[in-house]
Amino acid sequence: MEYLIPDGLATEALEREIQEHLFCRVESAGDSEIIYYDTFDWALYSDGGFLTQRGDMLRWTSRRDGTACSQQLEAEPELVRDLPAGPVRARLPSGAENRRLLPMMRIQTKTRLLRMLDENEKTVVRLLLQSHSFEDPLSGRAGSLAARLRLEGVRGYDKERELLRALIEGKLGLGESEGPLLGEALRMVGRVPGDYSSKLDLRLDGAQRADVVTKQILSTLLVTLEANIQGAIANWDSEFLHDLRVATRRTRSALSQIKAVFPEDVVGRFKGEFAWVQQVTGPVRDLDVYLLAFDDYQASLPPELRSKLEPLRDFLLAHYEREQARLAEALQSESFKTLLGSWRDFLQRPVPSSSVVPSAMQPIKAVADGRIRSMAKRVRAEGRAIRDDSHPEELHELRKRCKNLRYLMEFFRSLYPAAQIKPLIKQLKVLLDHLGAYQDLAVQAHHLEDMAEQMQAEGRATPATLLAMGALVGGMLQRQQAARDGFAEVFAAFDDAEHWAQYRALFWTLEADKSSR
Amino acid sequence: MRILATYNIKGGVGKTAAAVNLAYLAAKRGERTLLWDLDPQAAATYYFRVEPKVAGGGQGLLRGGKKGTTLDEVIKGTDFPGLDLVPADFSFRNFDLMLDDAKGSTKQLRKLLRPLEDDYDLVFLDCPPSISLVSESAFRAANALLVPVIPTTLSARTLEQLLEFLEGQARLDGLKVLPFFSMVDRRKRLHLESMAELPTRWPQFLKTSIPYASDVERMGVQRMPLPAYAPLSPAALAYQSLWAEVCENLPG
Repeated sequence: MEYLIPDGLATEALEREIQEHLFCRVESAGDSEIIYYDTFDWALYSDGGFLTQRGDMLRWTSRRDGTACSQQLEAEPELVRDLPAGPVRARLPSGAENRRLLPMMRIQTKTRLLRMLDENEKTVVRLLLQSHSFEDPLSGRAGSLAARLRLEGVRGYDKERELLRALIEGKLGLGESEGPLLGEALRMVGRVPGDYSSKLDLRLDGAQRADVVTKQILSTLLVTLEANIQGAIANWDSEFLHDLRVATRRTRSALSQIKAVFPEDVVGRFKGEFAWVQQVTGPVRDLDVYLLAFDDYQASLPPELRSKLEPLRDFLLAHYEREQARLAEALQSESFKTLLGSWRDFLQRPVPSSSVVPSAMQPIKAVADGRIRSMAKRVRAEGRAIRDDSHPEELHELRKRCKNLRYLMEFFRSLYPAAQIKPLIKQLKVLLDHLGAYQDLAVQAHHLEDMAEQMQAEGRATPATLLAMGALVGGMLQRQQAARDGFAEVFAAFDDAEHWAQYRALFWTLEADKSSR
Repeated sequence: MRILATYNIKGGVGKTAAAVNLAYLAAKRGERTLLWDLDPQAAATYYFRVEPKVAGGGQGLLRGGKKGTTLDEVIKGTDFPGLDLVPADFSFRNFDLMLDDAKGSTKQLRKLLRPLEDDYDLVFLDCPPSISLVSESAFRAANALLVPVIPTTLSARTLEQLLEFLEGQARLDGLKVLPFFSMVDRRKRLHLESMAELPTRWPQFLKTSIPYASDVERMGVQRMPLPAYAPLSPAALAYQSLWAEVCENLPG
């Protein structure tokens, strides 16, 4: 049980008052610091736990029932996957493996411990008078929190605990504190736990002007993009760059797919500049993809070839540093800052009261219906045109179309009944994943061939390594072929009449459109 | 939940001191620890300043459930976070007779501890000396037996007796026996000779030995574990390294 000590009541006075009533021994328990860790996207908190460090002990505590486990910490925590095996490690969500544990808040506590004793001078209840200060490691902001009185019962001495509780709540009139210190400290810096997620969660008003809502969508994407810059520059983990790139890609997609809501020159300029962001962030992302998949690459090879692939890892790591430095330079460059500044200015500028841009003043729901309808029809037509001997480029084009359709449905999902749009997005993801695997495997196989040549030229590859890389490329091309062979079946599920009827029911809202096929 | 019993057929060998100090060190490392004082002499209970009294006595515990007392109800928190105690009770002197009356007598301790499986990572059973139904029941419950041995011929004989007894018990096959030297006086030639000789006969002897020290004796005055009042004393450091070695040797 924890009680808030009201402002104006000095802890010393409170301590004296307690001692007047009870046989206590006062101990100054000294200063301590607790560091709250989580991933940038609060994966641990969302999973129902808190991760804290006190001294060299790492502790996981359930948010639901307070159960906890600890393990000793040998070094400052970094990536979740690098944390040594132990009870705490076992409690962390597997989806957070590749994320770094960041210190979300440091809380310093000064404690005076009062032990209530029985006639054997045995502790029967503990009272902790605690004053707290906090420091937000990400923003550098610091301050103090309300002091608290903590009542800790000792097992088997319930009567004594209740006695003390009555004193605190009755005579001293203290009220129980609400919520943990972390929440209070975060509130002080204007944050709440779980305040970052890379998932789009927009609440749109379908009757609002299209240009206003499109700015709302793009502003949300800008917040996500900006939130990830610091972590991408410092390379805290690979997800910062990934989320930054996804936000950039979605921004470009929104600019080109939500058509005719902004003047063409504005769209043209920013599309081009965000294409540059996508391009300068590409090489590190590629290396991340290879390094994250490296263990799987090795596992896909026969056991005797696995160790031969190690020089490839060394090669990737050797290039990583240089590419990361280039990326950091680009993200700290004046041109990037100027781009974000002028983009923010544009998004924050109120829309003109009247506009000649054709769709700008239409209700967003009508624009959304039209765009999704048109893109869905295009996906269906292009997918149907693919034959067994179609050029790979056609599948690549179809993938781009699918991605645009997915982004459109994700931007506008709040305009449609959740139960109806969710399965459509889910099914589209299946098709998209399939096309993605086909395309990515081809690109990776090609890229690996280039790397093999480069490694040979740099004298970094023995024939055994080249053979192992060859086997890896072979495996990839085989899987790519399997993806190609399976395309017709996956597409048929999208093109299914019943499935298509769901698209029509949701997006063909005008009678004129209902008749179109 | 892992269960460790501290035991020697002979009394006064530093058995309770080992149970109390190791339990304290384990709790300090974050293990949720319970120490059960099975010895009616109640030394461990005394060290923790707890009244040696269990409501309903040993009989109540064995009866359990609605008519008796559950172990959970008699646990007392100590002055040290993460470390709880089942106090001794004078009725424990008759525990043997009570167990004899109970069904499946040597399985009783394990059965009583089972409901606490999720509450504790570690349980120490501080057993009374001599071989009895209580100690047999503790052997059956435990994963490992910590046996303090004073490096003398007489103590070596009690270890031999214990090992012979265990050998004859097929159902105790999985029990790990970890003897260690206790109350070592390096000025005594007999101690040094025994410490050189006994491990050649019983290689399971742990490398750490606990010195004979007045600091340990002062536990009765301080009424707390040695590392709580003299954490840097040679004996406290020895218990620390003993605990590390025990952890390395624990099964599973």
